[in-house]
Amino acid sequence: MSEFEPRDEYRDLFENAPCGYLTIGSDGRITKVNATLTAWTGIEKDKFAGRRLHQFLNIAGRIYYETHIAPLLRMQGFFNEFALDFETAAGERLAVIANAAERRDGDGTLLFTAVVVIKATDRRRYERQLVDSRTELQKGLATERETAKLREQFIAVLGHDLRNPLAAISAGARILQRSGALQEHKHLRVLDMINTTVTRMSDLIDHILDFARGRLGGGITLSRDAKPLEPVLEQVVDELRTASPQRVIETTFELTERVNCDRTRIGQLLSNLIGNALTHGAADQPVRVGAKTDSGKFKLWVANAGEPIPAAAMERLFEPFFRGDVRDSRQGLGLGLHICWQIAQAHGGRLDVTSTPDETRFVFTMPLVP
Amino acid sequence: MDVEARNNVHVSGRGDRAIVFAHGFGCDQNMWRFVAPEFEGDFKVVLFDHVGAGGSDLSAYNKDKYSTLHGYADDVVEIMRELRLKDAVFVGHSVSAMIGLLASSKAPELFGRMVLVGPSPRYIDDGDYVGGFSEKQIVELLEFLEDNHMGWSVAMAPSIMGNPDRPELGEELTNSFCRTDPEIAKAFARVTFTSDNRDDLAEVTVPTLILQCSEDIIASEEVGKFVRSRIPGSEIVFLKATGHCPNLSAPAEVVSAIRAYV
Repeated sequence: MSEFEPRDEYRDLFENAPCGYLTIGSDGRITKVNATLTAWTGIEKDKFAGRRLHQFLNIAGRIYYETHIAPLLRMQGFFNEFALDFETAAGERLAVIANAAERRDGDGTLLFTAVVVIKATDRRRYERQLVDSRTELQKGLATERETAKLREQFIAVLGHDLRNPLAAISAGARILQRSGALQEHKHLRVLDMINTTVTRMSDLIDHILDFARGRLGGGITLSRDAKPLEPVLEQVVDELRTASPQRVIETTFELTERVNCDRTRIGQLLSNLIGNALTHGAADQPVRVGAKTDSGKFKLWVANAGEPIPAAAMERLFEPFFRGDVRDSRQGLGLGLHICWQIAQAHGGRLDVTSTPDETRFVFTMPLVP
Repeated sequence: MDVEARNNVHVSGRGDRAIVFAHGFGCDQNMWRFVAPEFEGDFKVVLFDHVGAGGSDLSAYNKDKYSTLHGYADDVVEIMRELRLKDAVFVGHSVSAMIGLLASSKAPELFGRMVLVGPSPRYIDDGDYVGGFSEKQIVELLEFLEDNHMGWSVAMAPSIMGNPDRPELGEELTNSFCRTDPEIAKAFARVTFTSDNRDDLAEVTVPTLILQCSEDIIASEEVGKFVRSRIPGSEIVFLKATGHCPNLSAPAEVVSAIRAYV
C-alpha cells in the first residue's frame, strides 16, 4: 500500500515538488501556485491568485518580462531557461531559472500557461561572477592594448635615439681613418676596436628592439616575398667569414623551390645561429651550414663540434636572457636564440636543437608557403 | 547601402496606401505577426527590423549612430524613401512610437497618419513627470540583461542570423525572435530607457492616434495621456487589452482600432 491515494500523490507532487509551480489563466492572471513557491517567497497563495507574474518580479525583471519573455511565450508557445528574480515577502531577492509552456485546446485557444521555477541562487551568482570577470578582462584587455601601443612608440623612439649617437661615433671613426691623422699602430688598433664595438653595440640594439617588439608588442612582423633566398644566405655567411677569418664555415645549399618568407629575418636567424656556433663550437672544427627545400618544407641548419649543451640548459635555450655558463663577455644579452625562435614562430615554423658529444645542431623548418 | 537588406525589410499585400509596422525594444518584426496580415488585403504592408534586432544586418550596427533614437529614425526615413512611400500609415510599438515621431519631423511628407502603441516619451521620473521608473531601476535593467543572453553565443550567431526562416534548425532557433547580440541589446535598452522626447511631442504635425493598454507597466495610462496632451490634435483609444504588447495579446482589438482611425 502506498502512503497516498493516487490523487493525493499527484497533489503532493504538485504542492511539494522541489521546484515552484504556477499556472496562469488565459487572461494572464495567476490561478494556482504550489506550496514550494509560497514557502520560497513567503507570499501566501491568495496573494498570488488573480495577479500577474511580473508583479512578483523585481523592476528590471518586470521590464524584461514584458518586453522579451511574454512576447516570446506568445510567439513560440513556450520559453526555457530565463533568469528571473522574485521579490520575497521579506523584500529579498529569490534568484530562479524559469521555464513555461502554454496549453491550448484543439482549436488553438489558450487554456492556461504552466510555469516551472527552479531555485538557482548559487548558479545565478556564479553566472554573474562569470559575466563580471569577463567584463573585467575586457577592460584589462583594452588597457593592455593601449599600453602596447605606447610601448611600440617607446620602442621606436628608443631605437632611434640609441642608434643616432652610435652613428655619430661610427662616422667620427671613419673620418679619422680616412684623414690619415692616425698613423701609429697602437692608435689604429683603437680605431678598429671602436668599429668592432659599434657593430656589436648596433647588433645589441637590434636584439633589444626585436625582443621588445616580439615579447611586449604584437610579435615579430614579417614582410614576406618569394624572391631567391640563397643570395641572402650566402651574404650572411660571407659577412661572418670576414668577421672571423680564422674559422671555417662550410655550406651546402640546395634550394630548388622558392621560399615564401621574410628574407631579412631568415638572414638574421641564420646569422644568429652561425654566430652562436662560432662562439660555442670547437675553434678547430668547421661550422657546417645547410639549406634545402624538400616535400613542401624549407630546412635550414647550423652544426658545430665541441662540448655538448648540458641537458639542463637545453630546456631553457630559447628563453630570453638565457646565457648558459657565461665564459665570454662576447656572449651578449642571451637574446639571439630567443629571437631565432620568434622568427621561426612568426613563419609558422619551428626551431629544434640536438646536442651530442659529436655535434650540436640547430634545425629551422618552415612550410614553403604560409 | 542596401537599406532593405540592412533592415530586413519585407513588403507584402496590395493597396495604394502603405502601412509600416515598427517593432519596439525586445523582439523583432515578428511582434506584428498577428496584426500585419490583417492589412494585406487593402494595404501595402511594410515590416522591418531595427538594426541590431532580428534579421537585420548586424555589421551595419554603429555604436555612435544608434546611441540616440535619431539614428533609428533616420533608418525609418531611408526605408520609406527607398520604397517611395507617401502619406503612409506608420504604426510604432513601444520605443518605435518615439522613433516614428522623430522620423515624421524629419520627413513629414512620408507620413499620412501615425498610430503609437504604448508610447512613452520618457521612462525615468522627472519632478512632477511620472515615467514609471527611477534611474537606478534602469541601471538595474541594463545589468539584468546580462543575466539573460537568450542563448546567444558568437559561434551560433551566423546560423541564427543567416537562416531565420529555417525551422529545421529547431532547438537552436528557440528564443530567436527576441535574440540578438547582448552588447547591442544593452545599448538599445540604454537608448530606449534613457531618452527624453517630451519636447519633441509638440513638433508632430501628422495626425496621430495613441493606443493605450491598461496595466502596462512599461508605459502607463498617465504617460499615454501625457503624450495625447502634448501632440497637437492627437487622439487616444484605451484598449481593453492589458500589458505592454497588445499586438500579441489582443491583435483583433489592435487591428480594429487601427482600422477605425485610418
